Amino acid sequence: MTIGSIVACLKWVAHPGEPNDERFAGMSPADQSALEFALQQGAAMGVGVVAVTVGPAGAERVLRDALACGVARAVRIHSARPMQSDDVAAAIAAVIPDATWVWCGDYSLDRGSGSVPAFLAGRLAAQQALGIISVSRSADGVIEATRRLDGGRRELLSVAAPAVVSVEGATAHLRRAGLAALRAAGKAPIEVVQSSTPAAPYDAVVHPYRPRARALAAPAGDAALDRLRALTDAGAAVSARGEQVTLEPAAAAAKIVDALKSWGYLA
Amino acid sequence: MSTPTLGLDCDVIVVGGGPAGSCAALVAARAGLDVVLIERGPFPGSKNMYGGVVYPRILDSLIPEWWLEAPIQRWVTRRSTMLLTDTQAMTVDFRSEAWGRPPYNGATAFRPDWDFWLAGHAEAAGAQILTSTTVTGLIRDASGAVVGVHTDRPDGDLRARVVIACDGVNSFLAKEAGLYTHTDAKHFTLGVKETLALPEEVIDERFNVRDRQGVDIEILGGTSGVNGGGFIYTNLDTLAVGVVLKLPALAAQKARPEDIIATLKAHPAIAPLVQGAELKEYSAHVIPEAGLEMMPKMTMPGMLVAGDAAALCLAAGIWLEGVNFAMASGMYAGEAVIEAIKAGDLGSKGLAGYERRLRDTFVLRDHRKLRRAPKLVLSDRVQHLYPAMVANTVERMFRVDNPAPKPGVRRILREERKRAGVKLSDLARDGWNGFRSFG
Repeated sequence: MTIGSIVACLKWVAHPGEPNDERFAGMSPADQSALEFALQQGAAMGVGVVAVTVGPAGAERVLRDALACGVARAVRIHSARPMQSDDVAAAIAAVIPDATWVWCGDYSLDRGSGSVPAFLAGRLAAQQALGIISVSRSADGVIEATRRLDGGRRELLSVAAPAVVSVEGATAHLRRAGLAALRAAGKAPIEVVQSSTPAAPYDAVVHPYRPRARALAAPAGDAALDRLRALTDAGAAVSARGEQVTLEPAAAAAKIVDALKSWGYLA
Repeated sequence: MSTPTLGLDCDVIVVGGGPAGSCAALVAARAGLDVVLIERGPFPGSKNMYGGVVYPRILDSLIPEWWLEAPIQRWVTRRSTMLLTDTQAMTVDFRSEAWGRPPYNGATAFRPDWDFWLAGHAEAAGAQILTSTTVTGLIRDASGAVVGVHTDRPDGDLRARVVIACDGVNSFLAKEAGLYTHTDAKHFTLGVKETLALPEEVIDERFNVRDRQGVDIEILGGTSGVNGGGFIYTNLDTLAVGVVLKLPALAAQKARPEDIIATLKAHPAIAPLVQGAELKEYSAHVIPEAGLEMMPKMTMPGMLVAGDAAALCLAAGIWLEGVNFAMASGMYAGEAVIEAIKAGDLGSKGLAGYERRLRDTFVLRDHRKLRRAPKLVLSDRVQHLYPAMVANTVERMFRVDNPAPKPGVRRILREERKRAGVKLSDLARDGWNGFRSFG
């Protein structure tokens, strides 16, 4: 199967508050943003966007929503049971080996580990830009993206193809589907391919990492605004904590782990 | 499925995914028509609320043995009519085990569940459901006939042979089409409801039921002096407690509905039933309660109106029914459309089969028979004078005043009538009206 150069990876997710009620299921806000960015890029480049999802037949609803919004093709990689993130990425990578731009939501509402885009970039040997909150395109096709960092800081990235770009929710408002497209999407054909990777048993529920709560002293300041600033560091020039190093991936990972341990995030 | 006429997008547009809309779509789609059901909420039922009891017998012909799959909370096996004063309560209670087994009678159900389930049948029959889409107006041809609808989506016009408006009370489409000659606030009540959570076994114990049996309590009085009524319905592990209030009376009294419910819940006869319950939801909805007096013209060329949009809600004291009238009118609208399309006449004459079906069935026959009931039930005498008169009469009948001998019932009635300020002529007139309505 030959898949187009711009791909939006989408997932049909249950609402965390109503996990067993399909009426509240849908596309995560981050996936909506990813789809909108993909459609905008596709329009600018004159290329049709392909929407891909992994899951059982019920997951096709996310593809029909995407078709209604304007994607040219929809592909479902069949998997009857939940898969681990790396398996999902491998299954997607197998059907989009030639993709130049892959748009993903930063994390889904249900599991939200945010790891599929990273695994996917690894599988495709593509650049990865994660945590993106705004995107602009330069004339040479390179994407100028803004990434959110801790402490209210931002990182400006120039991303060249091939790349996997994962965006946060609410960074782009998904367009409202037209009536004719909505009707057509309900009957549009959806290509179904079998997953190239067998689904490993996976029943664990993974939640995003959340640091433990820590007791903090009451913030100083007479005015509420001062106390708020003291709590959040907002507007303050924060001295950088850490260092910039150039290391091989394995050594870099070990250094990051050591730093996290020293800061108290890892035991 | 048929191929729509050139220039049209489909055969039938149904506006609104409530019980009327889904039944209309189901019937039309089963006949092979290309049906589009447009729902403004994210799923059918998401925007809908009611008191809580549905009488689905009309579904027997549409969905045989519907009770095996319908999303029911409890089967109503006890019906009580309660009369309240500030300190008294009189209840007429009826119980039937037959209502707790097939083919059942009434049931409590949540509208988001019920409507979603019913719409699923329409979809399975071939109707296409477009959600999160609001119909904003009608498209008409040069002759004034309705030929489609505008929606709030980009390129949002949809053309069809016929439009069935099931867009609920305050139907903008029926009004735009001129089917309502006038609307008046006195024709409407405001229904407000609290959904209160209690463990299933607590509800079973307090309401003397078991095995998904349920209770329907209709209340006269207890509405803080605002004309209307109250209700308590048992769901599986929640109670629906609410009031239905005449709009002009509510406005004149400047009362807040939530305060009225709070007062009702604090009544000595009600408080033990709801004690310890946790408030899960508060909701409100306008109800078309004036029956025949407010009904619109049911058809015009290219369009029919059904359900609450056609004011087909029966509010006649002991009978409070809406969903069954909605389902039936939707079903008959679907049948009439099939007939009209076959005949190639979607004008008033071609669609006349709809009104004929309504007239010949319970939908309008019940309304005609009970046409005096809504006004009588909501009248000041029934609301404010008779409850005290009846309750005081019963209290004296059962009070033991020894060594005084028991007074005769006629004497008690005479004295309590006078004490309540009820004229004999008014009592006779209301009694005659009641007899003609309910007799």
